[in-house]
Amino acid sequence: MDALVNQLPTGLAIGAVLLLAALGLNFTFGQMGVINMAHGEFIMVGAYTAYVLHAWAGLDPTWSLIAALPLAFTLTGTLGWLLELGLIRHFYGRPLDTLLLTFGIGMILQQAARDTFGAPNVDVPAPGWLTDGTTLPGGIRLHHSRLFILALALVCVLAIAHYLHRTHQGRQMRAVIHNRDLAGVSGINTRKVDATTFFIGSGLAGVAGVALTLIGPTGPTLGANYIVDAFLVVVIGGLGRLRGTVLAAFALGILNATAQAWTDASLAKLLVFAAIIAFLQARPQGLFTVKTRALT
Amino acid sequence: MNTPHLSIHGLHAGYGRARVLFDIDLTIDTGTIACVMGRNGVGKTTLLNTIAGLLTPTAGTITHNGTDITRHPPHTRTRNGLAYAPQGHATFAPLTVADNLHLAHRATRRGGPELIDAALDRFPRLQPLLHRRAGLLSGGQAQQLAIARALVTDPTLLILDEPTEGIQPSIVAEIEQAVTDIAAQGITVLLVEQYLDLALRLADTVTVIDAGRIVHSGDRADLTDDTAHALMAI
Repeated sequence: MDALVNQLPTGLAIGAVLLLAALGLNFTFGQMGVINMAHGEFIMVGAYTAYVLHAWAGLDPTWSLIAALPLAFTLTGTLGWLLELGLIRHFYGRPLDTLLLTFGIGMILQQAARDTFGAPNVDVPAPGWLTDGTTLPGGIRLHHSRLFILALALVCVLAIAHYLHRTHQGRQMRAVIHNRDLAGVSGINTRKVDATTFFIGSGLAGVAGVALTLIGPTGPTLGANYIVDAFLVVVIGGLGRLRGTVLAAFALGILNATAQAWTDASLAKLLVFAAIIAFLQARPQGLFTVKTRALT
Repeated sequence: MNTPHLSIHGLHAGYGRARVLFDIDLTIDTGTIACVMGRNGVGKTTLLNTIAGLLTPTAGTITHNGTDITRHPPHTRTRNGLAYAPQGHATFAPLTVADNLHLAHRATRRGGPELIDAALDRFPRLQPLLHRRAGLLSGGQAQQLAIARALVTDPTLLILDEPTEGIQPSIVAEIEQAVTDIAAQGITVLLVEQYLDLALRLADTVTVIDAGRIVHSGDRADLTDDTAHALMAI
């Protein structure tokens, strides 16, 4: 029990990173069913946005972090919007083609990053107020950067929940996801909603990328390291269910941290995957599904 | 009274290689109730889906209010006054009853909030359920919501696909009354209905489809009940 309590902060921190990486996928994959393999590279683009603002534009770490969040959201959102408009739109209903296509786009983006910034990792210094940590009674150390990521993830979740449930555009998005044909005959321009969904989902990848610069180096394959875990979070949470995504991200984070404390990193990964397989055998639909009286 | 509100000419439609409709010609006059009948699987729903824009025809034209809408996407048709309540009392299950109505009303942009009040007056059972999720409604309630959702888009043509399917008799009577009242308001109604007696009570014109082709088309008044039953037994 002590071990679990000790690992809780680490687990929450890992969970928050997973959550940020998965929130965008919750839109593009969970809600629209598009497997966008370039999502990881959008995370990477977000991270390099923070780097460019600091190293090229010369902003100090605090300002580059503050400016990078909205800028990365807009930049990767626009990339996603263009990807949907130019390519993915023509491949709806062809998941395998979409997967290969976006995988290729991801490789192009990785190579573009290598050509622009070089293959070695670059460092984006965190603001001074985030490099510190606080020691809790009991000797548990909380890094401020981890706390910041946790707070950022929660702010994003609240903003998304507000958008989906309290705004007309958000309700349109839920309507299209639930029943595309019915949405169309209700006067909703479903194509426009698809484009918006993709913009927001991809934009959230950019935000995740900026957050990742706080806890590690930035390189061309940064996003690829997180993409599999992010997909798993969305599947376990129940496709397109925000609550499920939040719960799954923290559950995986805590499971990962605990398993790592008892064994080592690779064995921990194996244990986590085994647990996921067992869970999906018992509950293939994920944690949450839409409540309805109908049988289907 | 006799301007054609919807006219369909030489329509062929299907799903991929499966051809479902062949050379459909159909004209519906403003303010009338047109009933399309036929057994299961003869193409009635395919016809309605094609008129609503959910399916692109392989040939033929659809004209609504004098405009050729054959290539218009569904939302454009709805914004121009063509409302469709698909089969199976379809609603947005995760949204509340109120959100179902407001969403369609606001997306269509064809009138003020009085449209929502009017739809709720038409189906008073929905009033106490406004904050319930549509997915938790009974079949009859959901069907009333489905028609109300179509009405808040201020249609000039209302298309209903089997609105009484699997619904308890007391609510069937309410839906019948609602359709009568809607038509009395001057809204043209295109109705697919399996329940023969109800269809014959409501219809001004009757069209019977079999195996993807129109086998009978004419005024209800010219059709004796015996002929109608014989046609339906094809």
